[in-house]
Amino acid sequence: MADRSQQLALAEGLARQGHVQPAVEACYQALRIDDNEALTHCLLAELMLTGDFYDEAISAASRAIEIDPDCAPAYLALGLSYDRRGGMWDQSILVWHELAEVVPDLVTAHVQLGEAFAAAAFDDEAIDAWRKALELDPAEARAMYNLALAALKKEGMATALPGFRKAGELDPSQDDLFFALAGIFDDGNPAPDPTDVAEDRAARLEAAGALAYEEDFFSAAELIRLVLTENPDDPEALGLTAYLYLKQEAVNEAMACALRALTISTKTPTAVYALGVSFSKRAGLSKNAARVFAALAKAVPNQPMPHVLFAEALLGLQKYGQAAQSYRRAIALDPACVRARFGLAAVLLTEGRHAEAMWEIRRAAYHDTRRQGLFWQLYDSYVEGRS
Amino acid sequence: MADDAAKLYQAFVSQDPAAAIGVIEKVKRSGTEQGALFDSLFAPAMSLLGGAWASGAIDEYTFTQASVIAEQITSFVTPPATAQDTGITVIVGAMHRDYHAIDKNIVGAALKEAGHRVIDLGVDVRPAEYLERIEETGTRIVIVCASMNATANEVARVREILTTAGLQDVVILVSGGPFEADPELARQVGANGVVRGAESALKLVERIARDRQKAGA
Repeated sequence: MADRSQQLALAEGLARQGHVQPAVEACYQALRIDDNEALTHCLLAELMLTGDFYDEAISAASRAIEIDPDCAPAYLALGLSYDRRGGMWDQSILVWHELAEVVPDLVTAHVQLGEAFAAAAFDDEAIDAWRKALELDPAEARAMYNLALAALKKEGMATALPGFRKAGELDPSQDDLFFALAGIFDDGNPAPDPTDVAEDRAARLEAAGALAYEEDFFSAAELIRLVLTENPDDPEALGLTAYLYLKQEAVNEAMACALRALTISTKTPTAVYALGVSFSKRAGLSKNAARVFAALAKAVPNQPMPHVLFAEALLGLQKYGQAAQSYRRAIALDPACVRARFGLAAVLLTEGRHAEAMWEIRRAAYHDTRRQGLFWQLYDSYVEGRS
Repeated sequence: MADDAAKLYQAFVSQDPAAAIGVIEKVKRSGTEQGALFDSLFAPAMSLLGGAWASGAIDEYTFTQASVIAEQITSFVTPPATAQDTGITVIVGAMHRDYHAIDKNIVGAALKEAGHRVIDLGVDVRPAEYLERIEETGTRIVIVCASMNATANEVARVREILTTAGLQDVVILVSGGPFEADPELARQVGANGVVRGAESALKLVERIARDRQKAGA
């Protein structure tokens, strides 16, 4: 027993560090000692899925479920394997259904169930599943992306595009872009108390950025007001203000601050971002938004999100081919960019390329569950539940 | 124009939408096109508004109220959210015994968004129904969607029935996998072109309309 645990622990450690091959070897060693350990089979399934060996992943996950029908991480690995392999939608629907029953509050299970239904052309059932996911978590971006795609299929791009933008706002990657542009990074420390901030511009701006990162918009705004009292023509302070207004849905205030910042200095990327987002929220300003996001994409070509935002503006102009190019650029920069993959899927649907669109959705699902660390969350809860 | 932007800004902070519209109308009368109003008038006025708030010349409350006025008059300075009616009517439908609606829906919606008049016949449309609606509306462009080989071949019956009715000049565009896979198929069924998605449909319809205009049809 001790040998088995040791091998499994070793496999687990290696898998968590991303050492796939040695982890697989450790799993096989663990299985030679005890073939009836669901965790080992489940871990092996996850590793096989990582290596794109879908049949092996399906076999290992199925064995884990056979040993313990409550092994939630095995359902996740099995469902993802079916989806990635393709053409197994009936099995996929069953698996996601099971997972939703084993872990009823697992939002991703409902999202995945919806995607499996959609792939099998059960559109109404798919919409119900995504709505259920949004009931559990109203900020579930992937359910929103899927609902936008469903709207596209029924009513076209003009109806779907606001859904994509709404989903994009729920997706943390857009905020990440702003903070990257502003040079604000999470250093693990909490934002300072506004009363303790040194009385100089740099300290105040830095603290305001950190507070904005923690979504304490009012404290951030108070600090920026102090910066602007000393110099009302500070473009960085105005750019950050524009972002704070955007987060509070005050689009015109955001636009006014961003435009003022750019009047002072055109080289204020945060203001360019805020201006583009303000434009994209206004019907009829797709052309303006496209111009602004094109400039942003040129200014920071290695960031995927400006390409995504540019692509969405192009969708508003019915320039689907150009939008696809921009989405592809974003995916090349970040293959895990869920928003770009769903956007590209939308463009592919407008071109009648359904199979390719489904492939992009499946890739998005894979990367999204990875980004969330969902397998390990379920794995750890399962281990905890057994002990 | 800078003066006008200042006046518009003043109307915002005075919370006077009528004055704001007055400024916009005056600028329009001086020959500025609707499409240029946002960049040349509204954006500079908003920049002034942002500057006034930043410098403390106006307080937070006035800034918010001015933004509300700006919101109210936005539609006067932005290009129309929906495209202008092109006057071109297009009939779309999926072939008889074909229930694949997605391509048809997306293409139809894109054409509508571009300002074309779209008559959507739905799915499972018999050739006689195409003829009926063409005669009823005088439409000269039809997009027939077919996602299966059997239904794609049946498009020939649409051409046949139109020819019999003396409507040879109606342009039939086809859409669907079988036509993508076999470029000859469209010609065989008597279609004039293949729609490869929404953007392709927009381009083809515009080209047909342009050609017809040139020909004086």
